[in-house]
Amino acid sequence: MPGSIRKSGTEMVHRTAQSERIIEALAEGEAIRGRSLWEDAKRRFIRNNAAVGALICLGLVVIFTIVGPFFSTWSIEEIDWVRMGDIAGDGQPSIDSGHYFGLDGLGRDLYARTIQATRTSLIVGVIGALVAVVIGTLYGAVAGFVGGWVDNVMMRAVDVLISIPYMFIIILLMVMFERSFFMLFVGIGIVSWLDMSRIVRGQTLSLKNREFVEAATTAGVGRFTIILRHIVPNLLGIVVVYATLLVPLMILVESFISFLGLGVQEPNTSLGALISEGAGTVLYGTPWQIACPIFFFLVTIISLFFVGDGLRDALDPKDR
Amino acid sequence: MTAYIIRRILVAVPTLVILIVLCFFLMQVAPGGPFTSERPLPPQVLANIEARYGLDQPLWTQMWDYLVGIVTRFDFGPSFAYRDRDVNDIIAQGFPVTLTYGLISFVVATLAGMGIGVAAAIRHNTWLDYIAVGATFSAQALPNFVMAPILVIVFTWQLGWLPGGGWNGGQWQYLIMPVIALSTSYVASITRITRSSMLETLNSSFIRTARAKGLPEHKVIWRHAMKPAMLPVVSYLGPTFVAMITGSVVIDVYFSTGGIGRAYVDSALNRDYAVMLGVTILYGGLTVLFNLLVDVAYAWLDPKIRY
Repeated sequence: MPGSIRKSGTEMVHRTAQSERIIEALAEGEAIRGRSLWEDAKRRFIRNNAAVGALICLGLVVIFTIVGPFFSTWSIEEIDWVRMGDIAGDGQPSIDSGHYFGLDGLGRDLYARTIQATRTSLIVGVIGALVAVVIGTLYGAVAGFVGGWVDNVMMRAVDVLISIPYMFIIILLMVMFERSFFMLFVGIGIVSWLDMSRIVRGQTLSLKNREFVEAATTAGVGRFTIILRHIVPNLLGIVVVYATLLVPLMILVESFISFLGLGVQEPNTSLGALISEGAGTVLYGTPWQIACPIFFFLVTIISLFFVGDGLRDALDPKDR
Repeated sequence: MTAYIIRRILVAVPTLVILIVLCFFLMQVAPGGPFTSERPLPPQVLANIEARYGLDQPLWTQMWDYLVGIVTRFDFGPSFAYRDRDVNDIIAQGFPVTLTYGLISFVVATLAGMGIGVAAAIRHNTWLDYIAVGATFSAQALPNFVMAPILVIVFTWQLGWLPGGGWNGGQWQYLIMPVIALSTSYVASITRITRSSMLETLNSSFIRTARAKGLPEHKVIWRHAMKPAMLPVVSYLGPTFVAMITGSVVIDVYFSTGGIGRAYVDSALNRDYAVMLGVTILYGGLTVLFNLLVDVAYAWLDPKIRY
């Protein structure tokens, strides 16, 4: 190897030390662990400083939504009657009054409400992405694997659904039935899997003529079992990447609807609703009412973008 | 090419019909009609009202009338909440406003995004590139409903330069903030797409050939790199358009521009299903039409596509 000749002396020593260790290990009969795709991905991800930093930020937000309520002295719907008269003055964020993030426009504790809002957004994002993963992966894998007219019909259906402005459909659903968490999940679930199914179908098409699928077919494994056992595990990398990128999108959708006042109902709240309330009172000298929810919104979304990007670099060989 | 366009239209039409039928049946299964109120109406009055709105007809007849009304007369039927107005009046009143700033935002997002993206790709790995990448990455997390209040805080509350809302016949001061709020996150996305696709194109072998034969750099970029590099951008114009449409609801509500979004949200809160459906179908139809145009443009730009 011409490359190794130019290596410096210390590295040579290091090399030999390492190879000796390997020889030792071999001599003792220990198996050398191979590096799987996932281990490779983990190494690449950890080397990506921005992604790791974002993951830590995200972790802090999650921990805050879990631990935060224990420090809160007020509930989300309690009105502080003493201070509600002068929110711009008495309602400012302070440790003494127990309102760490101040009061909202109605005199409720913004700390407790921000925690609840962040939690709502995270849950909506994760559940939306999960729905997308389950439905989209199965749908796309079946369409791609079965092929023929089934594929044609299934993908035309996706084409039709994808060209409908889904935000209006979600709002329609939320208004016509009840405005609840459940309806929100149904609405988001209906739209979130479409892109995923397209991506998965494309990947499946490239997988289905591989030898291991042929081997399984020869061995007499049923079609659906092949999809679940052999196709889906091989899709996991790309699915994980797109699922991570879907979480912030779902949060954006939910916040958008809540901003319009068509999301979850009071006293429950979400980041979009808090931003909307804060935006309405901006001119009354209460900047914390918009600063707190926007801060958590931006930290969550930007971290999720960075984590998703890092995962893509680590798992998706195409973009490297 | 003509055959391709006709085929695309043949896909677009059923999409629209499915959209209308779907919306119509959603309205039917929704609990509580438009005339259910706390104080029940006398049965005779209710029957008269239902006859007035055609609700006494069988479901299929109603749906057929609705569909035919939209297709032939562009008539979305009467509003259920406002007795003296029909859905068409509401659309006609707000739509020009929404269309004005929506189109401006769309053009701004596309041109700015493409411009910054191409500039960043040409100056790859320089400070310009780094700033563009960093800024657009964060700007993607700034949707219209976050940008709008931030803009008002800065330009209206702190600096006092721009009016915090209203329309005033579309004077430029009233347009700036809605357009910026609506387009920011899409400028970012389009910049990212343009940049990466331009970089990919500039690394391909036909660009090397063009440079090798001594073409000046501006000709290499404009004559050879631009067209293939724009393909991913063109296919992203569809989603951008949808985003402008949906985003306009926030703009109308927050800036009180008097566009269609305010009527839409009001109708959602009043359970005025007729208006909700009309707006949804109108926007759905626009989306389908626009996607059709994008597909045709794409086929025209990309010689590799099979008709």
